[in-house]
Amino acid sequence: MSSGVNDARRGTGGGPVAQDEAEVARQLRDKIAAQFGRSLHIRTLDTGSCAVCEQEIRLLTAPHYDLHRLGFFFTPAPRHADLLLVTGPMVRAFDLAARKTYEAMPGPKVVVATGACALGGVYPPDPFVHGQVGEVLPVDVWIPGCPPSPLALLYGLGVAVGRLAEKTPGLTFIADEDPSGGET
Amino acid sequence: MPMWFARGLRRGVVTTRYPARPDRSSAFLPAPPAFRPRQLTRETADRMIAVCPSTALSRPEKGDGEVGGVLVFDVGACTACGRCAEAAPHAVTSSGEFELAATARSALIKKIPLLGEAR
Repeated sequence: MSSGVNDARRGTGGGPVAQDEAEVARQLRDKIAAQFGRSLHIRTLDTGSCAVCEQEIRLLTAPHYDLHRLGFFFTPAPRHADLLLVTGPMVRAFDLAARKTYEAMPGPKVVVATGACALGGVYPPDPFVHGQVGEVLPVDVWIPGCPPSPLALLYGLGVAVGRLAEKTPGLTFIADEDPSGGET
Repeated sequence: MPMWFARGLRRGVVTTRYPARPDRSSAFLPAPPAFRPRQLTRETADRMIAVCPSTALSRPEKGDGEVGGVLVFDVGACTACGRCAEAAPHAVTSSGEFELAATARSALIKKIPLLGEAR
């Protein structure tokens, strides 16, 4: 199964040396931005989440956020999907279904891990869950949050299609010192 | 004909790139913490790690490829529950960030320097 995005990210589809790889990744990103720039179909996949991520995802279609004005649409079938929005900690019982869903999607395709469970924050790996989506599917974009708000999801989708630049590498999570000096 | 439809036809804009302004509600949403390094001693860090219900906070010892003297904050694992802020209100504040999507998992792991620790 060939998937342009994932091949480029992992370097399997790239050239023999690293600089070619970066170049291929850049070209693919441009291609995705051009191809998915105005119409992207999303399939959601719940791998054992508590359904709060789903509530937030459903809110995207409400008039307030109006996902469709951005050119994003939900589709009920992976065959029509360009992007797989995965929630939950990836329960082991779901392995086959997750792989089949991924394989049913036409390439190029993007996998987005959504929420702290999917990113490996909430459940440690045990006999029932993998603990993170990355164990089973090749993840391209990670959206933190418990749950990620609809705005965080919109931003993540924008990053996934190469429409928005990601801010995270520049964030330090170091606050300015308390002006009052603080009390230790 | 609705005005937005006429405007869209005139401008030739089919879709929007991103909301022009952040939502007003975004100011009230729970956000991951931001830390004040000058208030962040090893004891404070350990107190926060003890109350963190997810695996977002850790303090690796020096050696084994780890730098030591830092609080490692995994933004991806953080559920923004606010328990660290409750445990150490002087050292933690809300970052207010929600645009946190990343194309590399490692970009979500932040190192916060601890007070008076050699690195």
